[in-house]
Amino acid sequence: MTGSTNPDLDLTMSRVIKAPRQAVWNAWTDRASFEQWWVPAPAKCRVLEMDLRPGGAFTTQISENGGEFKPHLSGCFLAIDDLERIVFTNALVGGWRPAEHPFMTAIITLRDHPAGTEYVAHVMHKSRADRDTHEEMGFHDGWGTVAEQLATLVEQSSVGAGTT
Amino acid sequence: MQQHSEHLNGIFHALADPTRRAVLGRLGRGPASVSELAEPFDMALPSFMKHIRFLEGNGLIRTHKDGRVRTCAIERKPFAVAEAWLSTQRALWEGRTDRLEQFVITAHAKDKSK
Repeated sequence: MTGSTNPDLDLTMSRVIKAPRQAVWNAWTDRASFEQWWVPAPAKCRVLEMDLRPGGAFTTQISENGGEFKPHLSGCFLAIDDLERIVFTNALVGGWRPAEHPFMTAIITLRDHPAGTEYVAHVMHKSRADRDTHEEMGFHDGWGTVAEQLATLVEQSSVGAGTT
Repeated sequence: MQQHSEHLNGIFHALADPTRRAVLGRLGRGPASVSELAEPFDMALPSFMKHIRFLEGNGLIRTHKDGRVRTCAIERKPFAVAEAWLSTQRALWEGRTDRLEQFVITAHAKDKSK
């Protein structure tokens, strides 16, 4: 279903979320909900387009440190299977028009699990050569996020250490 | 390996402080002068400079002085572990997935209690 996997270029994130599939689906497909979790706080996400059908535009913006909203994701949905699967790419934009800076396709899959929902995000990236351009382009997003997540981790472990 | 974990120690210490986190976050978007960096903080300049020196001392940023202006830039190497690009993407998606999970569980709990 997801084709072949290339460990050098692909990532797979898998989680069992203790909530019904409908709840996970809603969090993904309701714009206001999606905006709540797509980017790490204090950055803010704004969904400009989320046209849930093959060829439908998927466009978001990001605002960091209270600054103006800037382009973030600009892509297009490839497949929408109600409550089961969302496939999108930034290789194309709305209406299947080729995009300027393509580098990934993501397949989000939801399955029933005894404890709730099995959530899998499989993300396929373009070749190494293109990564470098992207690294420059998406530097603040990627790098900043790593730093922030490390920071959050530190905070959480220190809170944890303090209370246990 | 030892060296690697010492490096991580430096990074974690640097990130354990909100001022330093904010400075690194800002420098992640490009170089900036000390006065520019200090502006958002209600802090005397000598105190702020301690943070700058801490980051520089741990090799996380580099600074150079041009006339009266000291400019800071992020040092990417300490963070650039092998396969940094994919690691970055992984961190991005891990974070997203964590936040989605948190959001769904909170929203679902609210729904049930209605």
